[in-house]
Amino acid sequence: MTEVTQSGIAAEEVQAPADPSPRRRTWRAFRQNPLGMGSLAVIAILAVVSAAAPLIADFPSGYGEEILVGPSATHWFGTDELGRDIFAEVIWGGRISMIIGFAASFLAILIGVTVGITASYAPKLDPLLSMLVDVSLALPVLPLMILVAALVGPSVETLVLVIALFSWPEVARIVRSQALSVTRLPYVDAARTIGGSHLWIMTRHLLPAVAPVIVVAVVLTASRAVLSEAGLSFLGLGDPNSWSWGKILYNAQRSGALTIAWWATLFPSLAILLLVVSATLVSIAYNDARNPKTREA
Amino acid sequence: MPRPSSAAWTLRALAYTFFALAVFALAGPMPANAQEPTRLAVGTTADVVNLNPLVGNSRSDTWVTNLMYPRLMQMSANGQKEPYVATDWGYSDDGLTAWMELRDDMMWSDGEPFTADDVAFTITAVTEEAIGITAGLVGGSFERARAVSPTRVEFDLTQRDGQFLTNMGFWMPIVPEHVFPEVGQVSEFANDSDWVSAGPFVMTSVERGQRYVLEAVETYPFAPGGRAAVDEVVFRVFPDVNAQALALRAGDLDLIANAIPPAIARALSADPSITLVEIPALGWAHMQYNLERPPLDDLAVRQALAHAVDYEAIRRIALQGQAGSTLSSVISPVLSFWHDDTIEEYTYDPERARALLEEAGYTDADGDGFYDGITFGLLYDQAAAEIANWAQIVRDSSAEAGIEIELTGLERNTYLARARDRDHDIYAGSWSIMEEPAAYLDLAFRDGGFINYGNVSDPEIERLLDEAQAATSPEEALGPVQAIARRINEQVYDNVLYYQEFQFAYNSDRWEGFVPQPSDLLSLVNPLSLASVHPVD
Repeated sequence: MTEVTQSGIAAEEVQAPADPSPRRRTWRAFRQNPLGMGSLAVIAILAVVSAAAPLIADFPSGYGEEILVGPSATHWFGTDELGRDIFAEVIWGGRISMIIGFAASFLAILIGVTVGITASYAPKLDPLLSMLVDVSLALPVLPLMILVAALVGPSVETLVLVIALFSWPEVARIVRSQALSVTRLPYVDAARTIGGSHLWIMTRHLLPAVAPVIVVAVVLTASRAVLSEAGLSFLGLGDPNSWSWGKILYNAQRSGALTIAWWATLFPSLAILLLVVSATLVSIAYNDARNPKTREA
Repeated sequence: MPRPSSAAWTLRALAYTFFALAVFALAGPMPANAQEPTRLAVGTTADVVNLNPLVGNSRSDTWVTNLMYPRLMQMSANGQKEPYVATDWGYSDDGLTAWMELRDDMMWSDGEPFTADDVAFTITAVTEEAIGITAGLVGGSFERARAVSPTRVEFDLTQRDGQFLTNMGFWMPIVPEHVFPEVGQVSEFANDSDWVSAGPFVMTSVERGQRYVLEAVETYPFAPGGRAAVDEVVFRVFPDVNAQALALRAGDLDLIANAIPPAIARALSADPSITLVEIPALGWAHMQYNLERPPLDDLAVRQALAHAVDYEAIRRIALQGQAGSTLSSVISPVLSFWHDDTIEEYTYDPERARALLEEAGYTDADGDGFYDGITFGLLYDQAAAEIANWAQIVRDSSAEAGIEIELTGLERNTYLARARDRDHDIYAGSWSIMEEPAAYLDLAFRDGGFINYGNVSDPEIERLLDEAQAATSPEEALGPVQAIARRINEQVYDNVLYYQEFQFAYNSDRWEGFVPQPSDLLSLVNPLSLASVHPVD
């Protein structure tokens, strides 16, 4: 894994003009993977639908006369315990689920990459930061998330912060191990010899080298964040003022619709499944496309 | 009984099981075996937290300990107190002495007699150690208890208090003096082994979070034949109400102790083997406005809030019709003696709410559709299904009136802590049993009251409360009590949305003879009910 990436990086550094750049080669290989492209399309559709939610359905509010009615022409996904349209809830829920997913993932990446690169570049800080990462990874994440969310009170911002605070250690660990192999390469020494500042070396030479790892981490962390959001919302720690997929599930559980109205749980679950599976497949496909061995196979 | 369908051939093993069961069922019921104990499985959603009946205050605690530690009185369907262990009671002419006569045939399950000493011991412990809500209800006027004979207790009171006997009679379970530690250590007593009971059952084993097993005792005078008809009652803990309902339908449970959410009740009513019993609540669901948070101290704002709630939708949709109106009064019509039907009910009228706010000088200068400064947080328990549902309706109907409501649905303990610190704009909640108006109005509306979530401080109400509490007969207290309710209604100190018609479900193919009692605290799992229930012949 490490060697493979190194060869990719080396190619990037050489910038052979005759050869297409590694980025384009990766993209070409990615395009030939139907699973990856299909998953990317699914994510794109979900993102577009979430962004265009106001055009597709009214914000689910108030109440309706038809309580817990199964899917029909007027209510494609049926109605919930207050007679609201579950289709609209899933559409609007996708917005919050994805916003939380990407915001939390962004924050986690920001912290994780900073810690990871610092640890790899500054040998004196490494033991301390590595220990911090190890300790954070050893924490029982779900109970702590529940505790923090319960104490602070549920809101979208709380969820983003809580999920990010408990997701960065994994990113930090991957980035650190990737960056460690790069800091020992001659070009980093060269950069230092010509008097480059530490910040410049870290941002201009280390960061690009670990970029592919970060891309994968973004996708995976985001999908995990969506799952965490659904989990916390399902436990009743979601934002009561907005919709998310986990909240639809929680409402169904709380009102007792779980066993009598399959539509109240099936559609939000499918949405979560689609997003998480697609994200995972995209990251696998990207990894494969980046890897010359699998690319040539 | 489900039958294997032809499509289920992949689940062959399962089909065989069903087949075996079908053959077993066809073979007819097993002959009644004298050694086989009859067992009633009761489902609860929450674990029992405290087995000391004086300390425990959750519903699960009460259901289990009620079967061992008797209350002195029981409650009729309209909230009136009726004789149970106490056969008669009254006050002296000056109102400073109260007395109570007890049955003479009560026994503890270890053979010791149940006497007036136990009653005197219990109330002394409760008041001296200030244990639980009972201490709040009776502690104010209690001075001393004397067992003048094994069946008669007398109480010296520091002031006239017409609610003393009925409050104590219903809210205080009696514990055995010879088993519990001496006064001073009673609230610390865990009571987690070697139980002694004066009820129909005694606990024999506890598996925390799983099951609580109680066996019938031979000395329960209220049961036909002096003993409960079932040999064993098992409380099983199901944290999720959906799983609980499935267990009832599958026959793993015989009875569900907690009230069934409306959506499940509808599904269960279609099952022929399950019977639903409707029991009106003695409490109500309400919103209280924190008067210490401006502009909620402005009567016009509170009136606008009261006209911005779609009451009809809440009762019809969120409660699925299983709720009635109290006419916006803090005295529900279930308490027929006390209820005053001339009180003016708040109606859903967003236009009137807007007019009230504009008259009071509120404007929408920033044009966001809400009056400026009219934004309130609504605090509620996220896990309380009905409240969480109607909170959303309140938010949406208030928006129609230009009032912005932000939902603050919290995890239960956080919610309780916030309410205790009065850290809320609007508090939403429900009371289980509010049966003695002079007593509960005192807790909820006197300055510094235990559950005064609105921070109400109104000298007029305090004066009327004093008057109601000094009355030694209900007739005497009626006038001031109704005046308090009227004042609360006019000043919108409390906005009562509905009283609930609780639904309870049991397996009627197997069991009959439950004795329903009011509210979800007593419901079908009260001691008389479980002592009377018997298998269907």
